[in-house]
Amino acid sequence: MTLNIRLLSLALLSVLAVALGACGGDDGDGAPAADEKRKGGTLTELAAGDVDYLDPGRTYYQFGLQVQYAISRPLYSFVPGKVEEPVPDLAAEMPEISEDKKTVTVRLRRGVRFGPPVSREVVAGDVKYAFERFFSANVGGPYPGHFSALVGAPSEPTRGVKSIRGIETPDDHTIVFRLKEPVGVTFASALVMPVTVPVPADYARKHDARNPSTYNRYVVATGPYMIENDGSGRLTGYQPGRRITLVRNPEWDPRTDHRPAYVDRIVIRTNATDTEIAARQVIRGKGMILDSNPPASVLRELVTRIKDQYVTLPAGGYRFFTLNTEVKPLDDINVRKAISAAFDREAARKARGGRYVGEIATHYLPPGMPGHEEAGGLKGPGVDFLSAENVRGDMELAAEYMRKAGYPSGRYTGNEELLVVGANADPGKAQAEVARAQLEKLGFKVRLRLVPQDALYTRWCLVPARKVAMCAGASWFRDFQDPQSMLEPVFKGSLINRDGPNNNMSMLNDPQVDAAMDLAAAAQGENRARAWAEVDRLIVERAAGIPWLWDTTTLVRSKDVAAEANPYTTLWDLSYTAIRAEE
Amino acid sequence: MALLEVRDLAVGFDTEDGRVRAVDGVSFDVDQGGALGIVGESGSGKSVTALTLLGLTRARNADITGSVAFAGRELLGAPERELRQVRGGEIGIVFQDPLSSLHPLKTVGAQLVEAHRAHRDVSRAAARERAAELLDLVGIRDARRRLDSYPHELSGGMRQRVMIAMAVINEPRLLIADEPTTALDVTVQAALLDLLRRLRRELGMALLLVSHDLAVVAQLCDEIAVMYAGRIVERGPTATLLEEPEHPYTWGLLGSIPRLDRPRARRLQPIPGRPPSAIDRPSGCAFHPRCPYARDEHRRRGPPLVPADPEADQGHQVACLLGRSARRALWAALRDGGDPEEAMRRAGLADAGEGRA
Amino acid sequence: MGAAPEPTPGRRLSGARAAMALFIARRLLWTLVLLVAISAITFLLFHLLPAADPAVARAGRQPTPEQVAAIREQLGLDRPWYVQLGDYVRGVFLEFDLGHSFINEAPVGELVGDRLPNTLALIAGAAVVWLLAALVVGTVSATRPGSRADRLLMLGALVAISAPVYWLGLVSLYLFSSDLGVLPLLPGSGAYDTADGVLEKAGALVLPWIVLATSFAAIYARLLRSGLREALSEDYVRTARAKGLSERRVVLAHALPAAVTPLVTVLGMDLGILVGGAILTETVFGIDGIGRLAFEAVQRGDLATIQGTTLVLAAAVALMNLVVDLLYAVIDPRVRR
Repeated sequence: MTLNIRLLSLALLSVLAVALGACGGDDGDGAPAADEKRKGGTLTELAAGDVDYLDPGRTYYQFGLQVQYAISRPLYSFVPGKVEEPVPDLAAEMPEISEDKKTVTVRLRRGVRFGPPVSREVVAGDVKYAFERFFSANVGGPYPGHFSALVGAPSEPTRGVKSIRGIETPDDHTIVFRLKEPVGVTFASALVMPVTVPVPADYARKHDARNPSTYNRYVVATGPYMIENDGSGRLTGYQPGRRITLVRNPEWDPRTDHRPAYVDRIVIRTNATDTEIAARQVIRGKGMILDSNPPASVLRELVTRIKDQYVTLPAGGYRFFTLNTEVKPLDDINVRKAISAAFDREAARKARGGRYVGEIATHYLPPGMPGHEEAGGLKGPGVDFLSAENVRGDMELAAEYMRKAGYPSGRYTGNEELLVVGANADPGKAQAEVARAQLEKLGFKVRLRLVPQDALYTRWCLVPARKVAMCAGASWFRDFQDPQSMLEPVFKGSLINRDGPNNNMSMLNDPQVDAAMDLAAAAQGENRARAWAEVDRLIVERAAGIPWLWDTTTLVRSKDVAAEANPYTTLWDLSYTAIRAEE
Repeated sequence: MALLEVRDLAVGFDTEDGRVRAVDGVSFDVDQGGALGIVGESGSGKSVTALTLLGLTRARNADITGSVAFAGRELLGAPERELRQVRGGEIGIVFQDPLSSLHPLKTVGAQLVEAHRAHRDVSRAAARERAAELLDLVGIRDARRRLDSYPHELSGGMRQRVMIAMAVINEPRLLIADEPTTALDVTVQAALLDLLRRLRRELGMALLLVSHDLAVVAQLCDEIAVMYAGRIVERGPTATLLEEPEHPYTWGLLGSIPRLDRPRARRLQPIPGRPPSAIDRPSGCAFHPRCPYARDEHRRRGPPLVPADPEADQGHQVACLLGRSARRALWAALRDGGDPEEAMRRAGLADAGEGRA
Repeated sequence: MGAAPEPTPGRRLSGARAAMALFIARRLLWTLVLLVAISAITFLLFHLLPAADPAVARAGRQPTPEQVAAIREQLGLDRPWYVQLGDYVRGVFLEFDLGHSFINEAPVGELVGDRLPNTLALIAGAAVVWLLAALVVGTVSATRPGSRADRLLMLGALVAISAPVYWLGLVSLYLFSSDLGVLPLLPGSGAYDTADGVLEKAGALVLPWIVLATSFAAIYARLLRSGLREALSEDYVRTARAKGLSERRVVLAHALPAAVTPLVTVLGMDLGILVGGAILTETVFGIDGIGRLAFEAVQRGDLATIQGTTLVLAAAVALMNLVVDLLYAVIDPRVRR
């Protein structure tokens, strides 16, 4: 499967290269020699629901990001076909990280302008304001943790927009971030997030004074497209739950951007709730794309019969069954290894829809993430209890480990009951049932609790007091392309939070693992990838959980659409999609 | 030729419990302008007879044989179109319960107008006029206002007057009344009977009155037919039947009527037993299980309906196996106030005991 | 002449009008009280038994307890429940403010107002279709009981009732929609949204009307059939026949009006519930209606919208009940007393 993705990406890349007439957006400047023939037309996207937000300070989910990055420019962004590293977007060049890793300097590109009604050049102060409003209560940015290292970063939402000492703007085109700890590398990786999209203070202040901020309906564009608006900036092209209409941004200068922006108009229908019908309409129709995975039946048809009109890419996350190291008898590593060895990961994948939903995981870092290949790629580090060959479970090996743990029969004979929590709706429910079966076949007594999705985390899995032995619905998806953010919050002992929401569901508290993490945090470049791959391997060896799936996303398009997938949002990139004149 | 000639009418239904012979061979005539009363208990088949004349019997799987000739035309088996002309046009019918027989959602006037316009080509206004006339005719005050009343707004007596108005609005030649006063109290009853009598006179209508109440029938009809278990057991001019009845059942009916002109001390003589099951008729004479005078033989042989006195006129007919003299003797004894035991002794039917079923 | 003196009709009529007005006024007041009670109960239900804490939902990925507390205070969730309840009820009934949806970033009233006309267009049209169908089928069946036509129609009705709406919707699209169908005759899913003008919108609603009407038509046909059979066995029908009226008149003018009353009750209930219940049809055909709004609100834990839509639905049901009662008084004069 990976091979196909590689080939496909390669093919797309070459098509892109030919079309652009220059090498991919490595340095971000030089306009794509836009193929005039491909310009024009209206693209229609069918989505089952609305974006979470249009406000760059609040949007967090991939659909919101897809729209955001068509109308806005963050400091750094990703180019289709190139997932490992972002390219400068609003920034003019890659960030400068100081030796002590406590200062990150970014220089802004010139000539980037806000669309109507603001219609002026973007300056450093606009990015500073974007950060500051993010921390205010009226905006309430959803991932302050990634930027809490800033000097002067508020520890709780501020009343009104307060200045942050740690963000300095020595001139209109330079921003300097000062950090409390030496986390400059991770910090720099996080600069692809939408919080870095500039917001004009003069225009937005009155909106941010309202609770909640009304800027969501008055967003100003910096990207090739904008949402239709009126003179006051109110987004007339945004009908919540129904439609979003994007038109070209007259203030956008293609020479400053890596995006080709082929189509003239993008209409996004956000009320196509029936994904089966929507998928079929896209496949059979013209000029359309689908915003999410098609249902299994359509997927099967695409892959086996149509063999076209889709791409598959890694979703950038891992699913795992947690093993709580503080709950007896899971505190014994041999017991954990036994469970891992016996586990039928294939069955769990089937519960989610079968082989088209993703790859069976053999460690944590997913494909596309730096460190994935270094940790063994799809085959993994090669531990026997989580092997790439025995995805259906190896009962003999499991029995061996149980015997090592002191159960001569090879099965669990104790009295402890394991609390397993899962979602109460499919596919999470089916997945949890598989987990229960895997435990029971080793002789464990299981108490399975199925709860609503939103309570799964907030009331069970992230609450240590509940003593959940196995969280059967756990997953972790990336916010940006940095392996540290994939492993540290989930497995670092020093980050265990016994009172509040705790992401270290396995309660793994291993000094060796923590030390390796500290070391890896300081590394950069290739060393960084290798160091975190090592951490990945250590965690696998601790049997703190059973990673079992690396989701893939399948994107569907109409026959006449030439679309590129954005590797970061894992959705079609609206600025790289064209409608072919023929067909 | 009589206005209505019914010959050997038989009506049977198939039910879950078996075949029901509601009417078992009934024949009678109604003359132009005449009045025949049919008397019997519930289950005697009298209502079914009346309804069948117009083809209104309920069950769709009714098996109807015989002949019903109205003004020379055969009604049984006639096409619906023809029957519709007769119904409400030449033969009117009044039912027992006026509350359920009038449409609850329509005004009285609307129902009358409908009845009239079904048979006469007149404007709505003209029909309304006629309806008001009829209400007046049947003795309802404030006729014009009443046209807009709903049935539930009227008293029982008034409702029945409306039904009668509806039945005679097209001046039919025959009016069939099926238990018209049963649902009403005695004083209203008298007024209604008065009305029927008057209408008969004024419109020259013939009347077929069906009732379980001999007294009601006696007041209005020239001739009476007594039905039992689907058959006519005695028929004759009213005076004859009241003075000289010759069937034990008729005697029973007369004996069980409270009368103001007899001494109070005299006890009512109800007819013992219950009406026979329509599915399982008693063998021989259908009345024999309840007849105080029945003999062994009566279990085996069914009595034919024959003239009571073969030498006299054929008007009075009776279906009884007891001889004429026995019957007359029994009646004489009963009339004087005796009970059946006494009557039998006096008539010399001492060995009647063995006849009891 | 008679026994009790007859009441004069004149006085009765004016009394009836006053009685009617009083009746309406009483019912309206009662309905209002009902709605206040429902809004209070809804509020309490959602606030005393929270499955999703709105503050946590807003707080994002890795919230600290302080962040959650600050948001809670901001949303006014830390005030005592009776204060919140009072504010809510007051807001709804005095200012028509149904609250603010954080998920949709819009006042709930706006969301509801946008979608109500769509749902009403859908269910009104469907109601017309199913009533007509039921009338025809029910009458034909009732007047030919046991015949082949009757048996076929009732069997068809059974199938129609059993067919899940969702499946029916998909099948109709795969058969008749212009973009997916084998016989492209009618606009497909999502067409209503992009349609312009009354005619186009109606065209886009034809398939949804038929799909939504199917199971109801079947139920109403069966109801009408049994009601009509009963009415046909009533005495007043016998009288109508005895008057010499044509069978058609007997069935349509005498039996049918009486048989229709239970249908009116059911219709009122169904329409009231459908305001929020046509979710499946709305989903399959991409119509932005209240049903879908409510469903999505539940899925995303959008408390304000859930409350708002619940209230709207309750109001719809209460109102329809009132309409039904009034309709009764119009149809059946016996009720007017």
